[in-house]
Amino acid sequence: MSLTAISKRKNTKARIISGFMYSLCVIFTGFILSLLLWVVGYLIKIGWQSVTVAFFTQVQIPYGAEGYPGGMLNGLLGTLVLVGMAAVVGIPIGMLAGIFLSEYGANSKLSSPVRFVADVLAGVPSIVVGILGYELLVVPIGNYNGWAGALTLAFIMVPIVARTTEEMLRLVPHSYREASIALGATKARTILRVVVPSAAGSLITGVMLALARVAGETAPLLFTALGSRLLTVNPNQPFPSLTKQIYDYATGPYEAQKRMAWAGILVLISLIFVFNLSVRLIARSKHGTA
Amino acid sequence: MGSDAVLGFFVRFGAVTVLVMMASLVFVLFRGSLDSMKTFGPKFLVSSTWRPNDLEVTKRTSDGKIVRDADGDPVMETIPAKFGALPAIYGTAVSSIVALTLAVPLSLGAALFLIRIAPRLRPRLPNGWRVPIDMWISFLIEFLAAIPSIAYGMWGLFVLVPYMQSHLEPGLNWIFGHVPGLGFMHADALTGRDMLTGSLVLAIMIVPIITAVSRDVLRAVPQAQIEGSLALGATWWQSCFEMLRYSRSGLFGAVMLGLARAAGETMAISMVIGNIPNIKATPFAAAQTMSSLLANEVSEASTKLHTSSLLQVALILLLMSLAFNIVARKLIVGKGGGVRG
Repeated sequence: MSLTAISKRKNTKARIISGFMYSLCVIFTGFILSLLLWVVGYLIKIGWQSVTVAFFTQVQIPYGAEGYPGGMLNGLLGTLVLVGMAAVVGIPIGMLAGIFLSEYGANSKLSSPVRFVADVLAGVPSIVVGILGYELLVVPIGNYNGWAGALTLAFIMVPIVARTTEEMLRLVPHSYREASIALGATKARTILRVVVPSAAGSLITGVMLALARVAGETAPLLFTALGSRLLTVNPNQPFPSLTKQIYDYATGPYEAQKRMAWAGILVLISLIFVFNLSVRLIARSKHGTA
Repeated sequence: MGSDAVLGFFVRFGAVTVLVMMASLVFVLFRGSLDSMKTFGPKFLVSSTWRPNDLEVTKRTSDGKIVRDADGDPVMETIPAKFGALPAIYGTAVSSIVALTLAVPLSLGAALFLIRIAPRLRPRLPNGWRVPIDMWISFLIEFLAAIPSIAYGMWGLFVLVPYMQSHLEPGLNWIFGHVPGLGFMHADALTGRDMLTGSLVLAIMIVPIITAVSRDVLRAVPQAQIEGSLALGATWWQSCFEMLRYSRSGLFGAVMLGLARAAGETMAISMVIGNIPNIKATPFAAAQTMSSLLANEVSEASTKLHTSSLLQVALILLLMSLAFNIVARKLIVGKGGGVRG
């Protein structure tokens, strides 16, 4: 009793500092959350007021033409196709690299440089990747085109998919692999029939996050796919995308187009919210059963 | 055996592709910027003239008189296009550093809150369920880190810019104008699209990522470390400080990740920073970053030298972000967090 009394008296200053820092942490967190909720709340509110049926069903109609401002169907379809094309190229390469890192990495000199480069590559600014696409696929071809946009997005996907695949496969218990080998399965069969399928759920969520990430990218498309106001799926020509269309509308002069841009932001954010939420839920159900 | 060889080949192909991607990125940007490197040399980094087109001016003698030909007409001369990246480098450096200064204390406070305070805040509902507030906040922060840059850019352009122009900046500007010693930061006109607004948008964007990574770093501090310091009579803050000290290299890594993100951020900042190659002391002047320069000019570059200069800016940006990411990766040793986005 007396000891605590003494230590309490001695530490008054420390306790005041501690109380101050404690409340500072609470205030900072509250400040961050209210700031970010302000941003997101505003985006959702204005987006919700601006979204119309025409947004999803009509293509862009220029100012002055009948039916202006139309909708963003061209951008929506464009992003869907671009991300689909990027996925076809980026996901297999990323997954193969991820399988290499997790299953072959232990006895290969290649693994630590590949892991390192994949990590660093994931942090490269997307505009720089866009410039690579411009130099390799736009300048030689001579015009902006959908291939350049899709491959640039694929470039961004590969390191993300590779690292998540590696992490997810590492979570598969080692005993699965040993059991499979003990039953006489080859290494390839073990990987393709045992390891990958048992991590399938988390692999899919990892891929979904990568897709959501590139669907929201604007910078790498500025000088690769360029954007288009036509409803087109011809990758030899400038290619529409939701994000580029939002950017053009937001920085352009017309009010009705700005409202379309807000609606586009709402669609993007909802997409990302759903993806993130499902990843959370799948991760939690995994923890529950394990 | 056959299938083993095939899969082995394919996974190695995937792994080598990652290396090739990196190599081609560096190679293509380097090759593309050779023209600019040859023309300007190291001066590219310190010159602040960015003039994409040749300039026709009247020729003048050394004392400023206009040179005239036999007919009395002024003689014209052409000043070649010139490129210097200093304003863009300056803009990237200043906006990132200001953004970090604002974001780091907030993020560390929030990370400590998530680790040391929030887990105990799980109010019990009448039916016995506990509300996991810390998990909700964590989810929210991760969601915010995933929101695309264009969304922050639109918010910045239509909400923050008008607010800065009409509320915050006049007040600050008044202070700069009246407090002795701060006069150099005073500006004559306020547009809202300037270095300060750009830095604020960057700060808002990097708070979620720094918070999320620092939270993972702090979570890796052994429980014994915390309990030990508490048992020795440390106050709450003293034990927190011990945690921060224990994981300082990881936290520094989190900050580097935030810095890498801020430096490479493109859409949001190019929408609010004004995009003029300025180097000014006042935070209310329009500025430019390397990424906003690229976003604005690559598709409009008409001469080879212009494109080459832009590629050199991209190369500088790439090397900077590689450096930040490498340092961050070396420092974040523990599991979790990692380099995400």
